[in-house]
Amino acid sequence: MTVRAAAGGHIELVGACPSADAESLLQLLLADPGMTVDWRDCQTAHTAVVQVLMAVRPRLLGPPADARLKDWVAPAIA
Amino acid sequence: MNEFLQQFVIESRELVDAAGGGLLALEQSPRDAERLDEVFRAFHTLKGGAAIVEFAAMEAAMHAAEEVLAEARAGRRPLTPAGIGQCLAHLDRAAGWLDAIERSGELPEVAGGQPVQAPSVPAEHGVPDWVTDLVDRNRVAAARALTAIRFVPGVDCFYQGEDPLQRMISLPGLVALELTPRESWGAPATLDPFRCNLILTALSTAPAADLHGHLQGHSGDCGILPITTRVEDSAGSLPPHVMGVIEAQRAFLGEGSPQSFAGRVGAAGTVAANALRFCGRPESSERIFRATRQSLLALSVQPLRDALAQLLADETPAEAAAAADSVRATESLARTLRIDADQVDAVVRLAGELTVINNAIGHVTRLVRAGDPSAADLLKERQAALEHLVGELRRSALRMRVRPLRSVLQRFPRLVREMSANLRKPVKLVIVGEDTEADKTIVEMLFEPLLHLVRNAIDHGVEDSGERTAAGKLSTATLRIRAERSADRVLIEVSDDGAGIDVARVRNVALQRGLITEEQRLTLTEAEALDLIFAPGFSTSTKVTEISGRGVGMDAVRRAVERVGGHVSIRTVAGSGTAVKLSLPFSVMLSHVMTVEAGGQMFGLPLEAIIETTRVPQAAISKVGAAPVIVLRDRAMPVIDLAKVLGVEPQADVDGATLVVATANGECAAFQVDRIVERLDLILKPLEGLLAGTPGIMGTTLLGDGRVLLVLNIAEMLR
Repeated sequence: MTVRAAAGGHIELVGACPSADAESLLQLLLADPGMTVDWRDCQTAHTAVVQVLMAVRPRLLGPPADARLKDWVAPAIA
Repeated sequence: MNEFLQQFVIESRELVDAAGGGLLALEQSPRDAERLDEVFRAFHTLKGGAAIVEFAAMEAAMHAAEEVLAEARAGRRPLTPAGIGQCLAHLDRAAGWLDAIERSGELPEVAGGQPVQAPSVPAEHGVPDWVTDLVDRNRVAAARALTAIRFVPGVDCFYQGEDPLQRMISLPGLVALELTPRESWGAPATLDPFRCNLILTALSTAPAADLHGHLQGHSGDCGILPITTRVEDSAGSLPPHVMGVIEAQRAFLGEGSPQSFAGRVGAAGTVAANALRFCGRPESSERIFRATRQSLLALSVQPLRDALAQLLADETPAEAAAAADSVRATESLARTLRIDADQVDAVVRLAGELTVINNAIGHVTRLVRAGDPSAADLLKERQAALEHLVGELRRSALRMRVRPLRSVLQRFPRLVREMSANLRKPVKLVIVGEDTEADKTIVEMLFEPLLHLVRNAIDHGVEDSGERTAAGKLSTATLRIRAERSADRVLIEVSDDGAGIDVARVRNVALQRGLITEEQRLTLTEAEALDLIFAPGFSTSTKVTEISGRGVGMDAVRRAVERVGGHVSIRTVAGSGTAVKLSLPFSVMLSHVMTVEAGGQMFGLPLEAIIETTRVPQAAISKVGAAPVIVLRDRAMPVIDLAKVLGVEPQADVDGATLVVATANGECAAFQVDRIVERLDLILKPLEGLLAGTPGIMGTTLLGDGRVLLVLNIAEMLR
């Protein structure tokens, strides 16, 4: 699983997150809108996943490991 | 521009405004059939006009919008926010085309009759708005970029296994990337995670040709445009008269004897460097300054002459052309002014009466020559009649320049709608007093400061809807812009019902930024502390947002307003909101001033700033440290010797001091002058050219005896 609810009210995005993760991520966030999303270990995120982060705007714990995510995506959705 | 096209532009602009206003009203009440008809008719007339002038692209755009509205009218499909957005987009394009026509006098070259909303607009007819906006928001990156990319993936592209974001971040030479929702997100629960709702825009240092391959073969629309206008450059393009000054310095270097070498180099270098600094070119200025030093050390004019020549060579071709272009654009935009025929008739009638008076004065001149004793009385009588007529002519002329504020205020519903969607803060805009009138200059300068205030209010003032609900407020915030006329002032208030300003935080931030001392932090009154947000270099927002983080603070608002003789005040109540009030003169042209003499020179002080004039014995002025202070009516205030601060020789006055007490932005000071002369009503000319923006001076006017009177800006002098 590349998206999972971790202990301590966190959702973790790990590794390469495919488009299917968008649905799981959205469900987790809808279940508890206060959750923080930890994407520090995220290597790539599909557009659909990023779109969920933009639409729901959870608190993000970053920066992500991957340089492209860190340099381009993180600022664009901040 | 031919008359026919001119008429088309004037009429179309009015229709575009009417349609835009109507569409926004429809968004509030989509079932308003009458409004719908009205908007439909506006689009229909626009389409008809475009067909008459044979402007196929605009005809097609208007037709497309008309279709959407026709469906709604027939009851086949309800008018959705998306549909309204579409119509507004068509209107925006039409407005852009009208601007282009007004600038060039010709129909823009647009691929005729093409269906609209294609984001890949050909660049020939000017730079599309999205490019300008993108470049504007990413100035540093844009300085290096060659290409702007806008990618709108198909909504179902995820099902086809596409990953648009991945494509964009893999582009060669990427220097900026922005993601914006195509439609506002709405509640998270309604989000369809597999529907792509993104617009991706980017800047790249790679040429357009290299990028085409990377974005080929995906679904959706893609626009790849070479960036032709470098915003960084044009922002600093030197006006022609400055070029003239620099050119003159270069010529000056070659003249004169070797004895005057140091003076000549020093003077030429300083003048050129100052001129550059005044036009916002600190780097070029610094370069010239260094070259001057080199020249002085090397005892040769060569380094400085080379630096000046280099500067002129860099500037001349492209930037001079761009500057000329923008000058033309502003001129042509200012040229059309719709004026009531009655007003024109009134001026023509006055012109006739002036001719009569002129003849009558001619008659008196002959009497004077003939030594007629009654001539003096007659002349006095005629002069009184002339004075009356001149006054009337001035009023009529000013009356022609009066515009309703509507032209500015009506732009805000659109902007607020967009900002509110971007920040996901529902905001209702209420505009009161659109019909309030003011001089054209005032109306035209208002947009920028108001935009800034509105942005601030929505971005920083209004809380998220969650916070609002928690605080027991309506989730939709209300933003009010209220305009009203009060005697010879126009008052405009922008108020929100947001969180208010945290004055304690303002104190802390001001301390951090070094604007106040620790002692001041504790002792400043609430109002004084609040006033700090107008200080240059103050911005409480810790993050830069797309909406308001563009590096202009409230100080820019205050400066713009004060430049035309207005002032800004702010009120805030924690938890219930903030109101910023602009008080502007109704007309910038006629000013009431008091003339005073200081150091043998005449200066004007704006009457509205003056509280009282008084004469006190020298002993009443005491010293606190080095600063002279006086207590008047139980209030201590600094005494400013006008001659000293303006660098003229003060005249000794042993008996006492003549003081003019003036106030601005809540601060008070007593200006010490040699003599108070008289009160004048005059038409102030703003400082132009290199002197434009000289701090402390509001403008100038010619006195009866031909001397130039400098009218001082009290607010800037007290700073």
